Amino acid sequence: MEISQAIDIRNAMQKSGVIMAYNGVVSDELMVTLAEILKSRLEGLDDTKRSRTVFSVFMEGMQNLIWHGRTGVESTGMVCISEQDNEIVIVCGNRIQREDSVKLNSVLEQLQNADKDTIRQLYREGMSRSNEHEGPGAGLGLLEIARRATHPISFAFTDVDATHVDFFLAARI
Amino acid sequence: MSVITDLQISATDRTPEIHLSPSAGVFSMKGESFPEDVSAFYGQVIVAIDQLAAKLDKPLEVDIAMVYINSSSIKAMFRIFEGFEAVRKAGQAVNIRWHHQDDDDIMQELGEDFKDRFPELSFDIKVL
Repeated sequence: MEISQAIDIRNAMQKSGVIMAYNGVVSDELMVTLAEILKSRLEGLDDTKRSRTVFSVFMEGMQNLIWHGRTGVESTGMVCISEQDNEIVIVCGNRIQREDSVKLNSVLEQLQNADKDTIRQLYREGMSRSNEHEGPGAGLGLLEIARRATHPISFAFTDVDATHVDFFLAARI
Repeated sequence: MSVITDLQISATDRTPEIHLSPSAGVFSMKGESFPEDVSAFYGQVIVAIDQLAAKLDKPLEVDIAMVYINSSSIKAMFRIFEGFEAVRKAGQAVNIRWHHQDDDDIMQELGEDFKDRFPELSFDIKVL
């Protein structure tokens, strides 16, 4: 990478108030390391309720990346936490099979339009679903994120190739 | 009469302290829960809990005080609660005390969610 490109990245991060950003191989070990760093950053927030919410959403987002971001032996993905106008945004992204994106899209649209009570009801039903991260409906991790976010979740899919798309999920807190 | 042995698991940075004594009729679970392998950690606990209904000869006093628990651990906890429900159906009282920090909405709400899913269990949600 040219220095100018690095400067561009730095400027873009600064402009959008990035607290923490990561792109690459994700693992359980990385999650624990980033969680520790995030915890110490959040201590400066002075709002323990909000800190807990951010931490919880981050953890579920990272676990989703580890489970669903498998590309061969390793999992890859990106996570970005930023703060702007007194709002923290957590974005996670990972590559998925194009065929899986259709179902995911409809689950997310449903969550996006659901009110808090509906999401909580879905969550209560999800508590007893087995730990196979398949099955119909949104997983408990996704429901946790949707439930903790202070605004409806937003998401995007971008084309990669004939069989893959990149999936991004954002939660505002 | 067959005896079930006690279960005592010490807390780590990412797993809770768990204590089960069938002879004393107590179960407690405290701390953080985001183990790398949820099945490996909770497997032994669920096995022990599932034996309680057939063997417990007194009420079961349950104390739960979690600081953070991830979604896959919540599913394991649901299995533990199914064991409590089996104990109740077998005729022993189960008294659950769910403790949370005063300002911890997340743990308070999770307690409410478990209470909602297990309406027959005696369930107290208390501030620590």
